[in-house]
Amino acid sequence: MPAEEQKRLYEQLATAVFELDEQLAKLLAQEVLDRGYDAWQAVERGLLEGVNRAGKLFDEEEYFVPELLIAADAMYAGLAILRPHIKTHHTGFNRRVVIGVVQGDTHDIGKNLVRIMLEVAGFEVHDLGRDVPPQKFVDTAIAVKADLIALSTLMTTTMERMGEVVSILEAEKVRNRFKVIVGGSPLSQQFSDRIGADGYAPKAAQAVELAKRLVGLSNAA
Amino acid sequence: MSDMAPRERLSRVLANQPVDRAPVICTGGMMNAAVVQVMDENSPTLPEAHFDAEGMAELAQRVHAATGFENLGVPFCMTVEPEILGSRIDPGTLSCEPKIAEEAFASCGEVEIRDVKKIIREGRIATVVQAAHHLRKRNPDAPVIASLSGPVSTAASVVTPLAFLKELRTRPQDAHRVLDYVTRLLVEYAREVIDSGADVIAIGDPTATGEILGPRIFEDFAVRYLNQLCDAVHTSGKQVIVHICGDMSKSRNQLANIHADAISVDALVNLKRLKEDFPRINTMGNVSTALLEFGEAEKVSRNTARLIRDGVDIISPACGLSTSTGLHNIRALTETVKGHA
Repeated sequence: MPAEEQKRLYEQLATAVFELDEQLAKLLAQEVLDRGYDAWQAVERGLLEGVNRAGKLFDEEEYFVPELLIAADAMYAGLAILRPHIKTHHTGFNRRVVIGVVQGDTHDIGKNLVRIMLEVAGFEVHDLGRDVPPQKFVDTAIAVKADLIALSTLMTTTMERMGEVVSILEAEKVRNRFKVIVGGSPLSQQFSDRIGADGYAPKAAQAVELAKRLVGLSNAA
Repeated sequence: MSDMAPRERLSRVLANQPVDRAPVICTGGMMNAAVVQVMDENSPTLPEAHFDAEGMAELAQRVHAATGFENLGVPFCMTVEPEILGSRIDPGTLSCEPKIAEEAFASCGEVEIRDVKKIIREGRIATVVQAAHHLRKRNPDAPVIASLSGPVSTAASVVTPLAFLKELRTRPQDAHRVLDYVTRLLVEYAREVIDSGADVIAIGDPTATGEILGPRIFEDFAVRYLNQLCDAVHTSGKQVIVHICGDMSKSRNQLANIHADAISVDALVNLKRLKEDFPRINTMGNVSTALLEFGEAEKVSRNTARLIRDGVDIISPACGLSTSTGLHNIRALTETVKGHA
């Protein structure tokens, strides 16, 4: 029964990602192609499902950063094999995020976690990396027609750079074209309000919920 | 005991001996107190003072005088060790501390192991050692604290952090090899700076938090190498403080296994409860740095007084201070402690 087998293979793919086995994820992704199964379904029901389960354990503090990063690597490895074979281009729901660590800071662990989880949630993510000047966030957001700008910092000394991004958006009269969200351990909701951002999330998973809510994909809790 | 000198007070607290009141300190390193308001046209300034022993000593002296913290603390950053191990450093500015511009290696397997006795002659270790020497001579009554970056944080500044974090699980032997190397360097560095006059070694290991690593990796990799370093400091006859960042609620038992004479933690850890659960730990902390930067002096005083009432052994900021933190708030912190004799 091919349908059963297909389903089982997707499940194995999800398990490989969830159990952090990159090699197996690659082998299974190749098997999907060899058997002529649908690449997009393998991504959605296999790879993304696996990394979602890893994300759930991360929220429950059973997985930690190393595990989540390895699960994401396994997902990306499988994706690299499957992506060229995805027939109709599934771009999720066509919402774009520009993300980066603000200027002066090079700590990017938190930003990378948020990026991974946004991608899994279906956002098109433009990652500017770390130590990003405020103007570059604005220029990129305008260029790619982003919906959301996500700013990260771990350092108390660089928090104020986040406010500068908002100020530039206002000065260029484009503030209302983008939602701005901020995250990082020294931050708080109070800080987010003070600089005029649209939202703050203390953890990666909550950042995704916040992003979805702000772009109108889910209702306010 | 009312005229106990700060150096003696800190040493007694760390040795579990009675004191008249808690010391109030800020170690330097990741807990750098060289805020912008400390510097003026007559003082050494950052970033220059990161690179010059006399400037570093003079600025540490100024921090001590301006803030009221009862110690001298050097250096003012966490980049001394990674720089020596090959990472490229951005020296920062007056208001922004130095940081890693680019890590030296893409994976643990690539790390080239060199002779640690040779490499401690390189880079800014000599600058810090010399600064500690000046400070020791000039301050008979105040403790000189040398701050080192912890093994995991140093390793994650020499190897790309995401690769390093993954390899803790996927290539544990490679990760151990790097951590062993980094720890041997830190042990040599600690010995040198102790020989030149440091009274206390403070180890700041922000990446080594249970919140990032999880309890098992925290124990197998962070606690193991922190303890090698703590044991080496004890062998040299000195005391050691360890600072761990983040939420440690899942790793409390492992935290208690660190061989430090005091454990310093972030604002979100309840020190009163930690002390109740592990009475033999000396606790240090944890005045919120957000409060210090944005709050009012009166609130800082209240927060500080609560920590004293809770029996926290050493009062200190909870984490790295923002360089824009106002001196009035820092003084509210230190004066509140000094008023509680």
